[in-house]
Amino acid sequence: MQIRIEKRLETPKIVYIIIPVASILASLLFVGVLLLAIGVNPLEAYGVMLSRAFGTKFGFTELFVKTAPIILTGLAVSIPLRAGLWNIGAEGQLYMGAFAASFVALYFSPPVIVLPLMVLFGLLAGMAWASIPGFLKAKFDLNEIISTLLLNYVAIYWVEYLVYGPMRGKEVYNFPYSDLFNDYAILPRFFGTRFHVGVIISFLIAIAIYILITKTSYGFAVKIVGSNPKAAEFAGISRKKIIISTMLIGGAIAGFAGMMEVSGLHLRLRAAVSPGYGYTGIPVALLARGNPLFVMVAAFLFGLLYVGGSAMQTTFGIPVAIVDVFQALVVLFIIGGDFFTRYSISFGDKGEKYEGEKG
Amino acid sequence: MGIELTSNLDSGNKTGNNKTESKKILKMRGITKIFPGVVANDGVDFEVNVGEIHGLLGENGAGKTTLMSILYGLYRPDRGEIIFDGEKVEFHSPGDAIRAGIGMVHQHFMLVSKMTALNNILLGYRTPKDPLMDYEWARKRIEKLSKTYGIEVDFDEQIINMSVGEQQRVEILKALFRDVKLLILDEPTSVLTPIETEKLFKALRRMSEEGLTVIFITHKLREALEVTDRITVLRRGKNVGTLITKDTNERDLARLMVGREVEMIIEKKRKESKEGEAVLRIEAVHARNDRGLPALKGINLIVKQGEILGLAGVSGNGQKELEEVIVGTRKIEKGRLIFNGEDITDYGVARRVALGISCIPEDRIETGMAPSLTVEENLILRDYVKFTKNGFMDFEVIEKHAEKLIDEFGIRTPSPKVAARTLSGGNIQRLIIARELSRNPLLLVASQPTRGLDVAGIEYVRKRLISFAEEGKAILLISEDLEEIMQLSDRIAVIYEGKIRGVFEREEADLEKIGILMSGGALEN
Repeated sequence: MQIRIEKRLETPKIVYIIIPVASILASLLFVGVLLLAIGVNPLEAYGVMLSRAFGTKFGFTELFVKTAPIILTGLAVSIPLRAGLWNIGAEGQLYMGAFAASFVALYFSPPVIVLPLMVLFGLLAGMAWASIPGFLKAKFDLNEIISTLLLNYVAIYWVEYLVYGPMRGKEVYNFPYSDLFNDYAILPRFFGTRFHVGVIISFLIAIAIYILITKTSYGFAVKIVGSNPKAAEFAGISRKKIIISTMLIGGAIAGFAGMMEVSGLHLRLRAAVSPGYGYTGIPVALLARGNPLFVMVAAFLFGLLYVGGSAMQTTFGIPVAIVDVFQALVVLFIIGGDFFTRYSISFGDKGEKYEGEKG
Repeated sequence: MGIELTSNLDSGNKTGNNKTESKKILKMRGITKIFPGVVANDGVDFEVNVGEIHGLLGENGAGKTTLMSILYGLYRPDRGEIIFDGEKVEFHSPGDAIRAGIGMVHQHFMLVSKMTALNNILLGYRTPKDPLMDYEWARKRIEKLSKTYGIEVDFDEQIINMSVGEQQRVEILKALFRDVKLLILDEPTSVLTPIETEKLFKALRRMSEEGLTVIFITHKLREALEVTDRITVLRRGKNVGTLITKDTNERDLARLMVGREVEMIIEKKRKESKEGEAVLRIEAVHARNDRGLPALKGINLIVKQGEILGLAGVSGNGQKELEEVIVGTRKIEKGRLIFNGEDITDYGVARRVALGISCIPEDRIETGMAPSLTVEENLILRDYVKFTKNGFMDFEVIEKHAEKLIDEFGIRTPSPKVAARTLSGGNIQRLIIARELSRNPLLLVASQPTRGLDVAGIEYVRKRLISFAEEGKAILLISEDLEEIMQLSDRIAVIYEGKIRGVFEREEADLEKIGILMSGGALEN
């Protein structure tokens, strides 16, 4: 008996489905072991998660409320990813969107134009924040992973500074909050729950982005850049323009997510606008392999985790950080699983690694 | 690991009679190697005599490299046995093969560019004073080898400063230094000038005289005939014959290789009128290479309607930069490009594409295609804007377009929807040719268009290029293959170190003159 690793000539489509599913299952298994270690029955814990999300009206609408920003950050990562760029900065872009929208909500009038202005400023702020790493990458080939990641901290601390300082509300005692927005700066809600109109818009954005990147010539150009930048250049596509434009679109969407969170959910600017949705966008984009339709599906999974995570905290006293652990595991498994798209493993004597016939 | 003794031992009757008695250094028997979906070697018997130069000939995918990789310990055969130097051997790695006395010089050299030749030769070798390096001992030994075989190398020069031919000599010395009895050379002449090739052949003959055995992998029939003693031809993983070189000829070899009659010489009919509208004028163009060093130093060339202008030269003398300058992916530092009377010096790639400039790039896989995109997407790579309706891709038209080209250019693919990376090298080449010619351009820059193709593929590409030029289009043919240049071109230009050293009408050109210019020499008047 011998284990053989063979290079694949062609990757069967099924592998692309097995890898994300297996990654999720393996992550659940590992988290289960962790739960066992702290004395919680994982099956029971997962049961509570599911029943919270699907068992009550509140839980079910909450599932959508938590899924929506994850869809947006998933898209914010996916679009640059299709051009071969890692936008780790959706979190920061989201915070800047939240900041800009809050600024409009608190200091602008007349009421009729405030919501549209909040959307516009949210989009622009996210774009502006993403344009920095995009420009640096295009012009100086500065690694976008580093620049987007570091800018997150700048954005997060900027918002913290504001809510502890100049934008702290008058009626919030010592909490790091701004004042509540006026009614005209709040997204409409339905069913007497926190389900707001932004959720629906998020799904529509995902569909629009799907059309943009799979059906249009722009999407085709992005795909060529992602597949082979030199071929793109050879085809007359400006790689720089694609780098900057995909980052701008990603940033705008993340910025909108920030606007949506403050205007639909928190109703004010506060520290910790997002529990890390920007980072959640990364495993979501990876699971979905950059396809916006699958982003919606993958986002649901993580939405479920966020809803269930808080349920686990209240029921078992498990820290919500378990969600972060799960997320990190999914990323690791997916990246590791990439190996299987390029190699197959077999047992026994037949077959050997193949490196292509040449000459 | 079960190794079966196969019974299909061909009694060697294909082998010439007078040498069957010679001592065999290598016997490979019934070698079978199956890769998923491909039988790369199918019961191959292969025997090599002591001290001979044995040519291994075959088309792409015929299994030459696989067979030699098995011999060199890179792959393990599924069936069959190897007897080397009288002993049955099983190599698990190239290390085993080297210890047994087999050396291999690969097509792509395995040298450390920032180290001297001497250090490269010693890399991984234990000198007698190990763990200390005994340079004195090594140097003496290498000098002796160098003298014996007539292989000259400046040992203290860094690889990075060496010509390709010199690098190859370092590789050969590296193998010889390890006391090989059998040396495998994989397509060694593909990177050499005619003069360097001649030198290499001399060295090979010296080795043979000294009792060393050489296996020479090639697809160039003429070279196989020139330098070898015997030739084995592989076709589709099978040994289809081992012949004595002096009893055979190009036509027979080609027929064996391809399995049918092949037109060996495809020559372009001379363009009737020597005057033609200039399609492309390159005027005193200067450009730098990727490292920022001057690569083109004032190139002047004119490519006319209906002609093939051949650009001869050893690679690395500015050909790639010239290709990129014309395509538009490399900046012109000084000088002008005039296309059909229009100054296109400052135009971007897209604009040049639209004007009718096509290109078969030298790096097919690196620049010519997007590997993860499908065949049909790759077929519109340079014209995708034309395949849109109101900004949306018109997938129906794209598919029809692909089906037409797949049919017309004989691209072998299971469907237009598979990733282009799954195609074989020859089919990728067809894909690129199909895309570039179907655009109906006025100018085609064809860079090494037949490199890596087999005999049948070469025949096909050359015919295509000729008929394209005969339609009145202009072709700039950049090739290291002088034979190709001589057969196809109406005029021939020679490039050396970023300058055009001479332009000839085909009738005036001869291999010798061009060879001298290619290596930097001057012609006496």
